[in-house]
Order: sequence, then C-alpha cells, then structure tokens
Amino acid sequence: MKRKEFLGRLIGELTNFMLEGNPLRLVVSLHQEDDGAHISFFDDRPRSEAELEQIRKALNPKAQRPELAQYYGLMAGHDMAWGARLKLIGWQIKHASVSNSDSGLQIDLWLGSDAFNPDNFTLETKKKEK
Amino acid sequence: MERTEKNLYTIMLLLILSLAVVGLALDGPLPGLQGFIHLQSQGSRLINDFTYYGVGPALFNAALVGLIGLVVVFFASVSLSGPTLAAIFTMIGFGFFGNTPLNCLPIIFGVWLAAKIARKSLGSYSLIALFGTALGPLVTFIMFEMHLPFALSIPLGICSGLAAGFILPSVAGSMLQLHQGYNLYNTGFSCGFLGLFASSLLIATNRMEPITIVWNTTQNTALILFIPLLSVFLLLSARIIDRPSTMRSLLKELSKLQKLSGRLPTDFIDASSTGGTLLNMGLLGLACSLYVWMVKAPFNGPVIGGILTVMGFGGFGKTLRNTWPVVAGVVLATLVFGKNLSDPGPILAALFCTTLAPIAGQFGIVAGVVAGFIHLFMVETTAQWHGGLDLYNNGFAGGLTATLLMAILQWYKVNRPKEDFEL
Repeated sequence: MKRKEFLGRLIGELTNFMLEGNPLRLVVSLHQEDDGAHISFFDDRPRSEAELEQIRKALNPKAQRPELAQYYGLMAGHDMAWGARLKLIGWQIKHASVSNSDSGLQIDLWLGSDAFNPDNFTLETKKKEK
Repeated sequence: MERTEKNLYTIMLLLILSLAVVGLALDGPLPGLQGFIHLQSQGSRLINDFTYYGVGPALFNAALVGLIGLVVVFFASVSLSGPTLAAIFTMIGFGFFGNTPLNCLPIIFGVWLAAKIARKSLGSYSLIALFGTALGPLVTFIMFEMHLPFALSIPLGICSGLAAGFILPSVAGSMLQLHQGYNLYNTGFSCGFLGLFASSLLIATNRMEPITIVWNTTQNTALILFIPLLSVFLLLSARIIDRPSTMRSLLKELSKLQKLSGRLPTDFIDASSTGGTLLNMGLLGLACSLYVWMVKAPFNGPVIGGILTVMGFGGFGKTLRNTWPVVAGVVLATLVFGKNLSDPGPILAALFCTTLAPIAGQFGIVAGVVAGFIHLFMVETTAQWHGGLDLYNNGFAGGLTATLLMAILQWYKVNRPKEDFEL
C-alpha cells in the first residue's frame, strides 16, 4: 500500500478514536524515515489504567494476522460515524505504546518495513534519555 | 503452530475425511468416483443441487472442495481460526451445490496472481481467494454450457476464472467500504457485482440461458443426520479443546460471544476462546436443523450448504443472539408475501440472511427484523441479475440491504443536531 493512503487510514482511525473522548486539544505528530514511520497522538484526556490496558491490547494483537490486515484493514479510517476499531490498526503496525502523558493520553504507533529501526526516531530517543 | 490450532486442523481433517469416506461408501467407490467426475461438468449456476445427481458424489465433492480450502490456509501460512474456519465451512457447504475442485482452482490462482503483482503474500489475500470461489459457476458455464469446442472452452473457462480471481481483491476492498462490515459475506457481495458484468457480457454474446432450479426433495438419512451429528461433534470438541476447561467456563465464553455485534472482522476465537467458538458453532447448527425440520424443508444440498455456512460463521460474526432477529424478519416477509417457508427461496434466505446478523448485533432487534424483511424480497430477484453466476447470492443481496440501511443510519447519525457547534 502506498505510504500516503496507509498513513491516512491509520491517522483517520486513531483520530476517530481520540475524538470520541471529546478532547479540547488533539495533536498528531508524524516522523517518516525511508524504512518506517512513527506517529504520535496526544490529547488532554488522561485515561484510567484499565482503559490504557484495553487500548494497548487492541493495538498490540497477540499474533500477526495478514489475512485480516490486508483485507479488512482497508476499513480503517473510512468510517467516522461509528465507533473506532483499534484492532484494524493493530494488525497493520509494528508496535504501539500507550501511556498517560503530562496532559492526557499519548499513543505512539511504529510502522514500516522489516528493515525499520526505531532508533532513527527522535521521540523514542528522547524517551530513552529520560 | 499452537496446540489448539493443531486440534482445529484435526477436527477439520476428520470432518473432510468422514465426508469423503461416507461419500464413497454410499454408492460404492467406483460409482462414487464416476459420479464425482460427472459433477465437474454439471452446470453449477444457482440453484443446482448436487445431491439430486447422487448423495455419495456430492459428499465426496464437498470433501475435496473443503480440502482445497484447508490446503490453501495451511500453505498460505495464515492461522486456522474464526475467519478461515468460516471460509472452509462455506466452501464445503457450497460443494453441495455449485463449487467443484475444477471451478475453484482457477479463481484461487487468479487471486494468487493478484497477490504476486501487488507484492503481497497469498496469506494476505487468502480469505478473498477462498470466498472468491463463489464465482466458480462462471468457470463451469464457459467450459461446459456455452457449447463451444472443448479445445476452446476449457482454456477460456480457466482464463475467465483467473481473470475473475485477479480482479476480486480490488473489488472486495472497495465493496467493504459501502456497508462498513455489516454484511458478513462481503466477497459474495463483490462476486455478485462482478457477476453482473460477466452475465451482461454473456447475454450480449447470446450465450446466456435463464436460470433453472434443481432441488432434491428426496429425504436421505445420511443428509438428515449429517448436521446434527456434526453439531454434536463440535459441542464435544468444545469441551476438550481448551483443556483444562469446565462447563461453566465454556458457558461464560459463550455468553461473552453473545454480547459481540459480529461486525466484520470479529474473530470469535480471538475475542473469546476456541471452545466457546466451537460451542457457538455447534449450537447454531442445531438451531438451524431445528428450524429446517420445523418448516418441513428437505435436508438437501443447498439447505445443508446454508447450515454449514451459518455454522462456519459461528466463528466469525454470527451468534444465536444476533441471528434470530434477521431470521424473524425473513419469516415475517415470507408470511406477508404469502410464500411457503419451505420453498427454495424462503428457506435459503432464512439461513443465509444471517449475513446481516451484525446489524441486529449493533443496532438491535428492530433493525435486524427490518434487515431480514428487506433481504427476502431482494434476494429473490438478485440471482436473475447475475444469472446465478455468484453462488453467494445472499451475500450480494445482503450487501445491497446493508448498504441501504447503513446509508440511512449514517445520514441520521451525522445530522443529529445535539452535537453541533453552537451558532
């Protein structure tokens, strides 16, 4: 899938999810490299530990599901009227980290080819330095 | 491969092996094989009940079609779970009235070609490849019903299957956006769409003939017992597959499944457990058998195909809770329009309408009944549109119904004034 469409779908679905919480502030940050990308989402609504765990579970599925990712994954980001489905994203990415930042929810998505190296991404480096 | 998945393979192999052995035993091995070879050249457009030509060959044919599905899942390196179980059960079901190994393979290879061109693995498109066999009648029709010389018709049939399979991934992805996962047989919807073009082309060449119904009304003990026995087998397997598991934990998993809407893609094995899913499939099989018995419909090829499809999707979207409102809608429409519940159209619609189960699961009983009601009168005309070339005609009609309902519901949802910015 072309990068633009792929990123658009992921950003659309996750934005749909975060807007369901009716935040007053929502920031999407994208960093691309040749072999992968990192997208960060921040809002101003902290979530409970149980909610964070649910999001983590949906975004980090137990197993690779290529048959679902390539077919049903096409629905991601297309439908803003109904509830967001984070599993559609989870099947298509390498990893997701979910936490409460200083102001609210922070979700980081890591995606790319098999050659993808998270060390190339500034945000993760900053986190490691902390 | 995990232990549970290995057990699922064992269950599927046992099912396929039993079908093949019973199929050959019923009429004797040689007549059984001759009947099977004869079936490959039979017209397979809707509705051609293979059990009419012999129960043994139909069972053997269904077994081989199912085996193809299982082999594709194994070699495509995708997990045998809810979606793939649904696909294999559906293929076995349609092996009783339309799918043959001969008409499945060109389509599967066509999808594989598309995967190669798109630089993806067959695993990525495996569900499209399996469900895409709904267009099998196109291959058989061109090979054997156009009355062309075999030297021309056989390659032409293979090429048409390859072409259909090649186009299918692009169409299936787009059709999904129309109903947003509320029609479980999305590939059937896509095949119906492609079937419109194929049928129109064949009409333009004056080669298309009106569809006919071959419907076996003779009761056969093997066919009557098949679904109840399979259901009991699944119920027993549910008890042992997730060892250690108690009856109480199994029922808890089943109840968890009943709360899901079933909207695509909901893998029940992932959402609950393998045991809970098998229990759900077994119960759906028994419920369907009871319905068929109550309305006094015959347990023939298409009816068994319908029940197997419902059971298969018991792992991928269908539960007792989200299916009954849609079936109630079909029953209501059948009675309102003065039709007989055991006639081919209404009985098949009552089984296959469960493609719309996610609508009842998400929006409630009334929405489900309305969807079922619309589905009945739609499905009785849509087969004519694609000339019976799409075996999953209910998936096509269901897709149209779901698209209409979703468009209305979506319009209502995006125009609700309460959440607008204040002027």
